[in-house]
Amino acid sequence: MGNSASHSPLLSSDRNAAPRQMVSASMRTASGPTHYGRALYLAINVAILIFLLAPIAIVVVFALNPTPFIQFPPVGVSLRWFEKFFASRDFMHALGFSLQIALLTTVSATVLGASAALALARGNLPGTRLIVATMLSPLMLPAILTGLALFQTYVLLDVGRPTWGLVAGHTLVTLPYVVRTTLAVLHNFDLRLEEAARNLGASPLRTFFEVTLPLIKPGVLAGAIFAFIVSFDQFPVSLFLVSPGNETLPVTLFNYLKFDLDGTIGAASVVSIVLAFVVVVGLDRTVGLRSYVKL
Amino acid sequence: MSEAATRRPNGLALFILPGALLFALFFFLPIGLMALMSVLTGNPVVAPKVAFTTRHYARMFDDPYYLEVIWTTIRIGLVTTLVALVIGYPLAHWMARIKSRTGHALLLMAVLAPMLTGIVVRTFAWMTLLSDKGVINQTLISLGIVSQPLKLMYTETGIVVGLVHIYVPFMVLTLTGVIGRIDERLEQAAENLGASPLRAFIEVTLPLSLPGILAGSLLVFALAISAYVTPILLGGFQIMTLPILIYQQISANFNVGFAAALGIVLLLISLMLVIAYNHALGLVSGQRELQ
Repeated sequence: MGNSASHSPLLSSDRNAAPRQMVSASMRTASGPTHYGRALYLAINVAILIFLLAPIAIVVVFALNPTPFIQFPPVGVSLRWFEKFFASRDFMHALGFSLQIALLTTVSATVLGASAALALARGNLPGTRLIVATMLSPLMLPAILTGLALFQTYVLLDVGRPTWGLVAGHTLVTLPYVVRTTLAVLHNFDLRLEEAARNLGASPLRTFFEVTLPLIKPGVLAGAIFAFIVSFDQFPVSLFLVSPGNETLPVTLFNYLKFDLDGTIGAASVVSIVLAFVVVVGLDRTVGLRSYVKL
Repeated sequence: MSEAATRRPNGLALFILPGALLFALFFFLPIGLMALMSVLTGNPVVAPKVAFTTRHYARMFDDPYYLEVIWTTIRIGLVTTLVALVIGYPLAHWMARIKSRTGHALLLMAVLAPMLTGIVVRTFAWMTLLSDKGVINQTLISLGIVSQPLKLMYTETGIVVGLVHIYVPFMVLTLTGVIGRIDERLEQAAENLGASPLRAFIEVTLPLSLPGILAGSLLVFALAISAYVTPILLGGFQIMTLPILIYQQISANFNVGFAAALGIVLLLISLMLVIAYNHALGLVSGQRELQ
């Protein structure tokens, strides 16, 4: 199982990056106190990186550890928790349900978010700033309230806890990512390209499909990837909207965690961590991370 | 350029409609209904006689227990924000100033990877570290530093540690953007005029990054006070915060009206924070940008 292997290169190369910086920095500034200051600066930052990444590494260690309780330092390597995880009907059902919800959410958030971004950047709408702020607000407003409000609405309307209701809730909290990444590319690209197409006689529709769409594709794609991973990990909205027996993976993990702390949960965590790493690396390779993570 | 001609909505403006419909049906309507439920005596669909009442709010503000819960939530939020700022600033500064592209990409991945790992998973990670038989206590005991396990979990400190880990990436990303926009030559000029790097930082970079500090802090605070998973698992159901209380009112008491009133209070606090955050970001980017 290549789970830990896909982690260690990232972690180790991070640690390697630090000393290299330190060397170049000390060569640049030769004076004494500056040198120590620089070393301190890097030491603090490396400590912060360890704080960020160590808990994730610990989960991987825990998942591979054969003992049913936390044992540190680890006593061996085993895949029994992964076997237990993949053999568990509850976890597998939850994993499948989460993937299904995440896919549906990705499609709806991408379509709605990208078209909204297009309208906001090119539609000359009045009150654009306010609309953008509103559409980004689910990022900051408590997701647990989105869950609560939707739950109360579904109760009042007596519709039960349907899958579409869960997807709608997830779409609401993932849409901001698509709006933001699409707006970012729409603002960055040269308007004169569209003007040129128009001037050469292309209809607005043709300009859109042959010039605008290909240019904004990376932004839309990045937004879609964010939407998928955020939906897959979403918890507070799901907490209110899932029905017993039809729970998403984070909710199942949470319920399990309340009573038990064995390696199965570690294995389940590793599966979701690996997914996140694959997505981050994939995002970086395909569209580049840098432009899409501005907050 | 004449404002009237450029500002008239064109055909593309219609693309806003599906998104607007989603927000109308699944955001504004539910929140409106929540506000309505918070001032009703019962569920108007099932109960025949329903009247307006302020009792849910009165209950919250008359009972010191609920005020204590609100205060605990805010206190945890404040400490989390402060620690996230202290930890996030150096990393953001490094990310904004690092020259190597690979170095920057690796730092970005190190920040994003925890961010894209689910909240439940990250909280679980901290449980394995902080619990009585967790990694930290086992290590300390085996090294003979302590004889009894330290009480790290089921405390506010434990909650704060978990929350900082979960929300510090938001602080880092906000600050990186702001620090990156500060012209590095300003610091160099200060140093050329004889200031030490530390003094150049304190007198040039730090004041210029204040709007970012404000925006990042507001963001982290807003996220921290609405957290549910981390406070409940790392607090071991013993420390009560507003989101935990809200869910409890629904799941255990099925007191929809009171839950709605608590929700409205949390919403109002968050709304104020969102407005302040947008204002702070406006200070950074000027008024022209959309995002």
